[in-house]
Amino acid sequence: MMPTTRMMRSGPWKEAPVATSFADREFQVCVTARLVEDDRTYWVAAGGGPMYTVLLAKRLYAPNAVYVTEDGIVAAEPILPLDPVMTVVAAKPSYRALQWTTMNGIGDHCAVGYLDYGILNTLQIDPYGNINSTWVGTYPTVGRRVNGPGGADSIAAMCPRTILMTDHQRRKFVPRVDFISSPGYLDGSAGARQRVGLPRDTGPWAVVTSWAVFDFDEATRHMRLRAIAPFVSLEQVLDEMSFRPLLPEHLEILDPPTEEELAIFRSTMDSAGQFSDASSHWVVQEDDRWVMVAK
Amino acid sequence: MDKRTLEVIAEGDGAYLPVDPDDFRDAVGRKTRKLVSKVMTAEEAIARFVADGDYVVWDCNYLQRGPSALIREIMRQRKTKLWAGGKFTWVAVALLVEAGCCDRADMGFFMGGPGMNRAILEGRFTVYEYSNVVLTVRLRAGAMGVTFLPVRSLGGTDNFRYSGAKLIEDPYTGQPTVIVPALNPDVAIIHVHQADVHGNARIFGAGITDVESALASKKVILSAEEIIETEDIRHNPGLTKIPYYAVDAVVHQPFGSYPGECPGCYASDTEHVAEVFTAMHSDGLGEYLQKWVYDFSSEEEMLGKRVGLARLRDLQRRATVREGFRP
Repeated sequence: MMPTTRMMRSGPWKEAPVATSFADREFQVCVTARLVEDDRTYWVAAGGGPMYTVLLAKRLYAPNAVYVTEDGIVAAEPILPLDPVMTVVAAKPSYRALQWTTMNGIGDHCAVGYLDYGILNTLQIDPYGNINSTWVGTYPTVGRRVNGPGGADSIAAMCPRTILMTDHQRRKFVPRVDFISSPGYLDGSAGARQRVGLPRDTGPWAVVTSWAVFDFDEATRHMRLRAIAPFVSLEQVLDEMSFRPLLPEHLEILDPPTEEELAIFRSTMDSAGQFSDASSHWVVQEDDRWVMVAK
Repeated sequence: MDKRTLEVIAEGDGAYLPVDPDDFRDAVGRKTRKLVSKVMTAEEAIARFVADGDYVVWDCNYLQRGPSALIREIMRQRKTKLWAGGKFTWVAVALLVEAGCCDRADMGFFMGGPGMNRAILEGRFTVYEYSNVVLTVRLRAGAMGVTFLPVRSLGGTDNFRYSGAKLIEDPYTGQPTVIVPALNPDVAIIHVHQADVHGNARIFGAGITDVESALASKKVILSAEEIIETEDIRHNPGLTKIPYYAVDAVVHQPFGSYPGECPGCYASDTEHVAEVFTAMHSDGLGEYLQKWVYDFSSEEEMLGKRVGLARLRDLQRRATVREGFRP
């Protein structure tokens, strides 16, 4: 149960004109969109990368993928671009849905098993895919509070497969998160999730960063590098992590974004640049090589 | 079959609102069943039905079909020591903390900024940790009149450690199961599209926990975009989400979700939304509250003088999607 080489290496994007200039976060959205399966249900964190990912996938690769958000919107065909912050409850993201229910409604759909995949953002992540979105520092006396789990705890607890998105930065990949807001494989031991009441056969499935894709080793549940961007080296990827992931037998090189992916993303989702502005790096093609420059 | 005993395997150490369903039934028992008008101003509703120290829950939030006008009125009246149900909420908890109204909150999702962080580190504001859905399940338990419900999430997290949840050996399966305490807030504030004078209320669109909040709370204040005839309610009773007998006050409050969007009625004020986020992150909520709350004695005065008719009309014009938000 892991992202397959086929998902990363073959698809319609192979035939499409390649982009020559993009932010590394735009690359991340395109790569995640290629992992979206058609005819599957997704509970996505409302707004930001997770929602962009499924919207982009529906336009290009998985037209019958269905997504829900925690405010009770099921299978919308939203009017894009959305107004700033108005990614939930509002009229445009609600448009042409198949159902408007409530937060308890979506929680029920997930608890009984109708929602196949979750897609989440993370602030901090550890080798077992536990994520922190609550507190940076020593809880609760030193440091600062962030937003809390929101809907992420339910998604991470109850979806069979959860895709985690994060920027590729050393401070994000930590040996131990400051606070477990949403569960990964906990201490990594066999049965750890079921021992605390979580449904069986659930948990993190992939981690997609602005530079790389990871999965989790089936025996140890430890994070494993699977593929890297064409514009970074293995050393760069490992240097920007505070723990060492398992390494694969064969390291895949991911395809760059296509012009079409970026055109759709920039015009209908990131239309004010609110997402790509937070990228750490810009990537350009020079002659036959990729050059990455810090922003 | 072996007889099982209910064993608590682990439990969080967070304080939680005491669970007492019979006490809640007593509160419900004291509410009128008469079909009388409960229409009053926001000022009167908040003065009468929100007491210092109350547990307050709201549906949706300050930016998305929430009772934003009622939240501002709570701050205008300088209520104190409120315990906030902080689910699905971008800025409302930060505003209440800045205003000195709120000293603790159950966490689902809310943002803070430097002001809230100081309040936490100085011990003026305490947070108990849950998630959005776990808080709505707690309200569902409160609305069912039971003392707790099991959930399939929360286990294994640090939220569990700092909450009122328990991990038990489930007496039916023998499997570990997380249970969370019912929540019966003192007061719920809910913004609705339409209500009659008695409080029969219609809400259109997706939402968070409107019905559960109303049925779980001792006191319920509705703000309504529109007051409609009870005859209209009777012609299409399937649209009634909240029954009148749960409701204590009905406030006719057009633009009651401003600066947020009320789907089908008006769009969000995007400049104002940016302003409140910037204020929160740059420690400027004090100035924000002066400008949008304290400078005015009522919502009508604020909307008229600070926002202005032209801008309100523009927000209405931008609400181009009506499908599903009208009967």
